[in-house]
Amino acid sequence: MEVKPEEVVGVIKSIFFYIFLSIGLLGYAQNDSIFTYKKKVLEAIEVDLLIGYYEQEGVHASVTGGIGNEDLQNTAPTVVIRIPLNVDDVLTVDAGLSAYTSASSSNGNPFNQTGASESGYDEDNSGRVPAGGSPWIASSGASRKDILTSINLSYVHASEDRNQYWSANIGGSFEYDYESFGFGGGFTQLWNEKNTEFSLKTQVYLDQWKPIIPTEIHEFEIYGNGFLVDDRSYFYNVSVTDSEGNGVVSYLPSNFTSIDDVNRNSYSVSLEFSQILSKRLQFSFFADYVIQKGWLANPLQRVYFADRPNFYIGNFRSISNYEKPSNKDIFHLADDIERLPRTRIKFPFGMRLNYYLNEFIVLRSYYRKYSDDWGINSNTVQFELPIKFSLKLKLTPSFRYYDQTATDYFASYNQHLSTQDFYTSDYDLSAFSSRQIGGSLVYTDVFSKYKLGKISLKMISLRYQNYQRSDGLSAFSVSTGFSFVID
Amino acid sequence: MKEYNKVYLNDLDMELKSPLFERFETTYHIYREAAAGANGGKTGGGCGCN
Repeated sequence: MEVKPEEVVGVIKSIFFYIFLSIGLLGYAQNDSIFTYKKKVLEAIEVDLLIGYYEQEGVHASVTGGIGNEDLQNTAPTVVIRIPLNVDDVLTVDAGLSAYTSASSSNGNPFNQTGASESGYDEDNSGRVPAGGSPWIASSGASRKDILTSINLSYVHASEDRNQYWSANIGGSFEYDYESFGFGGGFTQLWNEKNTEFSLKTQVYLDQWKPIIPTEIHEFEIYGNGFLVDDRSYFYNVSVTDSEGNGVVSYLPSNFTSIDDVNRNSYSVSLEFSQILSKRLQFSFFADYVIQKGWLANPLQRVYFADRPNFYIGNFRSISNYEKPSNKDIFHLADDIERLPRTRIKFPFGMRLNYYLNEFIVLRSYYRKYSDDWGINSNTVQFELPIKFSLKLKLTPSFRYYDQTATDYFASYNQHLSTQDFYTSDYDLSAFSSRQIGGSLVYTDVFSKYKLGKISLKMISLRYQNYQRSDGLSAFSVSTGFSFVID
Repeated sequence: MKEYNKVYLNDLDMELKSPLFERFETTYHIYREAAAGANGGKTGGGCGCN
């Protein structure tokens, strides 16, 4: 029988085909790991170092009842470390400091600058010492600066198919007059080939004040109605005048009652739904429901009543000039501290819509509507336009608009009535709008060109934002960030 | 949308959340404005008093 060469080749091909197929099946049977390989949720340790500087100027200092120097400087370094514990789990450590100096806060005791009773002199032989202070001058008091320290730990676990994520977090922050302890958890579900995502998160903060109150009210709280003539009081031998410049001892912040609850607790539920709409378009909708309970006012913030006589310390000739920055030597003594309801319910909701225009430009947009049961309603709109000049360099100009209505409990300096239950002259709770314009420059080290041992640079970011509020507050921030990967 | 069609959507700038480097600005917004939340930032905690 004659065998054709083509038939021999065909048989050989078939033999090789079955051999390779058998080897393949054998390999599959012995080691199926190559087919069940899971990509790690996080491939390597990532470290972000951030440092931000913020500076503001304003004329509505809340510690001095809604007028006064509001200058503030803040520097905040932060480090965020993400550690892959295994293929499914990631631990994040987020720690930072926030150091500030504040002219407004410094005037918890505005009399430090001149010393009040401690360093005064008996000018008119009346036994009363001229002293001063002004809401327009930063005092040297201890409350002029503080450092907030914070640390948060969060843990995320991903399911095998990466369609479910569970998270938990715990953390705290500490500053001189305030402590905060928080914890929470969340669950995320993806489906529809990861085109649709739903998240549910809850968060609890258990905070506590270590209240600092304005000096004149603090002395009243300790020594009672006779605090102006009590030789143990800070104000002993200090001249207090009425609006006419007459020396008096009748000043009493009699609306004041001691703070009986130093706790402030916050409970929140957050929902988020996101959907891919096309190859270039995706959006998310999110809403929070927040309940706060406890001492929601700030004990350091003064309030003045229109229906009570005014009392001052300092040069009474400057009273007519009191509300102007040129006032350097007279201070209006408080009628009470800020008082606000013991509960507050907040309901913010919003959406993001991102569109990939082309390989150079992405349009990022954000809108938020906010309302609460203190009468505040607000809108926030933000646009960002990341522009890629190359694989490495990106510029992102941004614009943000914000407006809010005033809380029901707000009135400006010396406009509240002593018969009200709640009152504040904090302009952060007043009606205003704000505009923020700025941008960021980001350098991405695509090929990990810069390495130090096992540490590779991933990204450098430089940001600048200019913030203008319609009530005259003006601010800017500069921040920089460095991202590293540790192999 | 199949995974292989998500090239544009996987761009870092298409993420539906604020970049980490924006957090400093979010913090001073919480201090200087009454509204907070619905942005991935804090909804409570801290006195926000400076």
